[in-house]
Amino acid sequence: MSQQAQKQESIQDTTIVDTDVHLSVPAKEVAKYTDEPYRSHMANTGYAPLPSSGWDRNLAGKIEHYTVQSPEDVQQRLCEEFQIDHPILNATSKLPRLPQSDLAVNLMSAYNDLLIDQYLDEYDHFYGLASLATQKPDKAAEELDRLGDEDQIVGAYIATTGPNPPLGDPEYDILYQAAQDNDIHIAYHGSGGAFMFEFPRQNQSFEKFIEVHTMAHTWSQMMTLSSLLVHGVPEKFPDLNFTFLEAGIGWIPMMMFRLNKEYSIRRSEAPLLEKSPEEYIREFYFASQPIGEANDPKHMKQLIDIVGVDSLTFASDYPHWDFDHPDALEQYLSTFNEEGRQKIMYKNAADAFALDL
Amino acid sequence: MTDHIVAPADELEEGGRIITELNGREICVFNIDGEYYAYNNWCAHQAGPICEGNITGTTEASFDPESLEVSLDYCREGEILNCPWHGWEYEVKSGKCLSRQKVQLPSYAVRVEGEDIIVTL
Repeated sequence: MSQQAQKQESIQDTTIVDTDVHLSVPAKEVAKYTDEPYRSHMANTGYAPLPSSGWDRNLAGKIEHYTVQSPEDVQQRLCEEFQIDHPILNATSKLPRLPQSDLAVNLMSAYNDLLIDQYLDEYDHFYGLASLATQKPDKAAEELDRLGDEDQIVGAYIATTGPNPPLGDPEYDILYQAAQDNDIHIAYHGSGGAFMFEFPRQNQSFEKFIEVHTMAHTWSQMMTLSSLLVHGVPEKFPDLNFTFLEAGIGWIPMMMFRLNKEYSIRRSEAPLLEKSPEEYIREFYFASQPIGEANDPKHMKQLIDIVGVDSLTFASDYPHWDFDHPDALEQYLSTFNEEGRQKIMYKNAADAFALDL
Repeated sequence: MTDHIVAPADELEEGGRIITELNGREICVFNIDGEYYAYNNWCAHQAGPICEGNITGTTEASFDPESLEVSLDYCREGEILNCPWHGWEYEVKSGKCLSRQKVQLPSYAVRVEGEDIIVTL
C-alpha cells in the first residue's frame, strides 16, 4: 500500500461511494459492441472517430495521463489505493454531441453493453450509469427499458454539454418516464471537451484551457438546472432523483437564491412549480468534485453547509486530470457529526441511486 | 535527529532520483547538477506522489508597460518538479510552490559522507 493510501485512518473506516468514475474506452474496444455499418465506421475513420476539442489537458506532460481501461484498474487504483468501496462507473460523455444520431444511438447500446460485460460483471461492488444518447429520446427510453433488469445499472448518465434543446424540454419526457418506471435515476455531467459546441466562443476566443474548463461544466449544469425547473420536470416525475456531477458546489447557492428571486417575479413562466426553486434544488444531489480551493478553508465549510448535509455526495472524477482524492472533501467534514459525514461519503449517494448497501 | 544511509552515491546520477522509505515516510533524494535535495513524496495539495513527477521547465511572462506587450518565456528547464496527479509546480531546488506563496515541500538535510548518501530525519 502506498504512502498516499495509508495516510488518513478515518477514511479507511468510512464507507465511500464514488459517484463519478470514468472509463477510458478505446474506440476499437467499443466498436466490438456496435453493429454494422457503425463497426466499420469506428474502425476505418482516419481521424479520431469521436470528436475532440484538442485542448492539452495534461500541460505538455506536467500532469500524468491516467486511464481506466480494465476493471482491475478500478479495483486497484480506486478501491484499494483510495479506499473507495463502491465506484459508480460511466463509460462516455460523447454521445449527445455526435452530429450523426443513428451512430449515437448504436453507440449508446454498445457503451452500455461494454460497461456491463467488461466491468459490472467482474465485480459485484461496482455500479454503473447507462450512457444516454439524447438526440432520439424515444431510443433512450427504449434503452432504459432494455437495461431495467440490470441490478448494477443504477442511474442514467446524461451529458449536459451538447443536448439541444436543453434537458427540461418536454421532448425528453419520454426518457424521464422510462427512467422513473425502471428506477434508474438521473446523473447530469458537463464536459469541457464539448463546450465548443455549446459555446462556440470557446474555440474562437479563449486561448487557454484554464478558461474553458473553469466555465464549461458549471455553465452546462446551470443551463440544465434552469431548464428542469422552468419546465417542472421534478413535478412531472416525482419519483426520479437528480444528481449533478463534476461542477463542484460553488454554483448551487447562486442558482438557489437567484431562481427564488426570478420565480417570485415571473412565477407564471414556470407554472408547474408548486414550491420555491430552492426547495426543489435541495431535493437534488450534488457531487463534490472538483472541490473548490478557497484561500480560507472556513469558506468551503460554509459553502458545504449551505448546500447541505443531505445533498452532497463524494466524487473523485478519476482518472481525469482534475480528480479529487477523498481527503480533499474529508478535510472539510470535521465539523459534522458522524451521521453527517456518513451521509456525505455514502448515504446520500445510496439514496440518490437507490443503492442496496 | 537520525542519519539514514539512502544509497551509495554512485547509484544516483545527475538528473536522477531515489525514493525510499525512512521511518515510515516515503523520502525522495534528487541529484540536480551534482547537488542533493531530499523531500517527502507528498504533495501539499492532495498528498499525491509529488516526487514521482516529471521535471520540466515552465512558462513565465513579463509585461512591458511601454509597448503594452506580454512576452512569454518557456524557461527554467530541469528546475520544476510537477506533481503527476494535478500538476502542482515546485522548484526542485527549494521546494517552493510556484502557485501558492506559502506552500513549501518539507525538506531534509542530505549529504554525502564517504561513499554514501545520508539523509537526516
